[in-house]
Amino acid sequence: MTEAIPTIAEAARLIAAKHLSPVELTRACLDRVQALDGRLHAFVHLTEDRALNEARAAETAIMRHGPKGPLHGIPIGLKDIVDTKGIPTTCQSKLLQDNIPDTDATCAEKLAAAGTVLMGKTTTHEFADGGPSFDLPAPPARNPWNTEHFTAGSSSGTGAGVAAGLILGGIGTDTGGSIRGPAALCGIAGIKPTYGLVSRAGVAPAAFSLDHIGPMAWTAEDCALMLQALAGHDPRDPASASRPVANYTAQLNNGIKGVRIGVIHHFHETDHKVSEGTQRSITAAIATFRDLGAEIREVQLSPLQDWLACGSLISITERAAAYEEWARTRLGEFSERVRSRLMLGAFVTGVDYVQAVRRRRELRAELQSAMKGLDVVLTATQPAEAAKIDAVPKWDLFAAPNFTMPFNVSGYPAISVCAGFGAGDLPVAIQLVAKPFQEPTLFRVADAFEKATPFRDRRPALVSA
Amino acid sequence: MPDIKDEALEFLLARAGLQLTDEQKAELMTVYAGIAAMAERVRKPRGHMAELAHVYNFTEEDLA
Repeated sequence: MTEAIPTIAEAARLIAAKHLSPVELTRACLDRVQALDGRLHAFVHLTEDRALNEARAAETAIMRHGPKGPLHGIPIGLKDIVDTKGIPTTCQSKLLQDNIPDTDATCAEKLAAAGTVLMGKTTTHEFADGGPSFDLPAPPARNPWNTEHFTAGSSSGTGAGVAAGLILGGIGTDTGGSIRGPAALCGIAGIKPTYGLVSRAGVAPAAFSLDHIGPMAWTAEDCALMLQALAGHDPRDPASASRPVANYTAQLNNGIKGVRIGVIHHFHETDHKVSEGTQRSITAAIATFRDLGAEIREVQLSPLQDWLACGSLISITERAAAYEEWARTRLGEFSERVRSRLMLGAFVTGVDYVQAVRRRRELRAELQSAMKGLDVVLTATQPAEAAKIDAVPKWDLFAAPNFTMPFNVSGYPAISVCAGFGAGDLPVAIQLVAKPFQEPTLFRVADAFEKATPFRDRRPALVSA
Repeated sequence: MPDIKDEALEFLLARAGLQLTDEQKAELMTVYAGIAAMAERVRKPRGHMAELAHVYNFTEEDLA
């Protein structure tokens, strides 16, 4: 790992051994923010004073009693659609420029209780939709591997911030790929947990039945450490699962001999053919898994286009319902891209929506059946390396189906991990998917892959420049 | 691909309560076919008994 920027797991070990102070760690992150964020725009609101105060408090507590857990004293960021008590939460929208919540979202509360140090609110697409937009109060985040390029979204600031070491981890949200997309293009790890595992309470909705909250960090292991603090039942979220929380790090380092991995070849080879660099990395990843002792099989599902149609109709309608009042009265205050997406709601009838929700039940049953006898399935996360930030089509929704929506439609947990570097030396990724609540298996496989490959040893050049 | 006529667009926008400029309406008309294709794609010969995903059941909390 890069010496200058520890992973959460490494920092936690150093802090526990009293070889690293949370104050030093926080100052190092703040120094990188100072040096780099003028180019990256990962933060919309930096909470520098609060971060230093929390780091000092963590240091004092740790010196007296030892750390309360692996996140104690770890600098993190929260996507700016996550409510934070007393701290502006703008959803990157002109409509909420003066919004200062009086309560924390559950995920913010849980990370604070775990002892994290809040560095600030990270850049998002407006209300986690559309983007990149250049007509918002703050500019879009830029990719640390090449700042001319897009981060993907909508958890763009968390993706850029983690990759550049401005934070060690952060919160993203994912309605159709908004954690996994930025994780892939920024070369980090990001997990969309099982629907209902992490509370949505206090997070601005994009589409209620597709929205997931999850961690983004440099490694799968770090995501597991964060998920441990985030998971659990919350009566404030009506979709919250009432299940005991698993141990997400218990299976790490067990190896993956005998793990059964199904590859959905047709998703990334036929339905939406990926770039050469992405395909090369997927092929190499499959070989790595085979070398590690996994059994590789092929999986056939409905075409990607079916999953996208189902998810998009649900997403468009639920979003239009959530923001209907403002769309009717303050439409001109949304960014052009979000305004356009909200307008689409007029085209989807109630019957269209219900047919999509009936289709959703069929597709979920299909995935359930396909995964019988398998532990994990694998496909691409993104079709290609990051595009130039000024070359992202406005109507990408109709351009080609994405690889992430199927697992918002199904609610199954899915993680993106860096699988190498492609054209322009930009990161490419693979996506791994497990059965509901089988995040421990997902982390086991993702962690084994990261440890068997060299891609975690390299940070963006601008970090060391 | 299906098209949408001006009158139909006006009706849908009025029903949705959206007030758009002529330019926005023209752009929206260009993507109607995309939405119509999605709406067609989710329709399968599933019969009238097929359930939807969002059904609910009562839990112990409802009985408390």
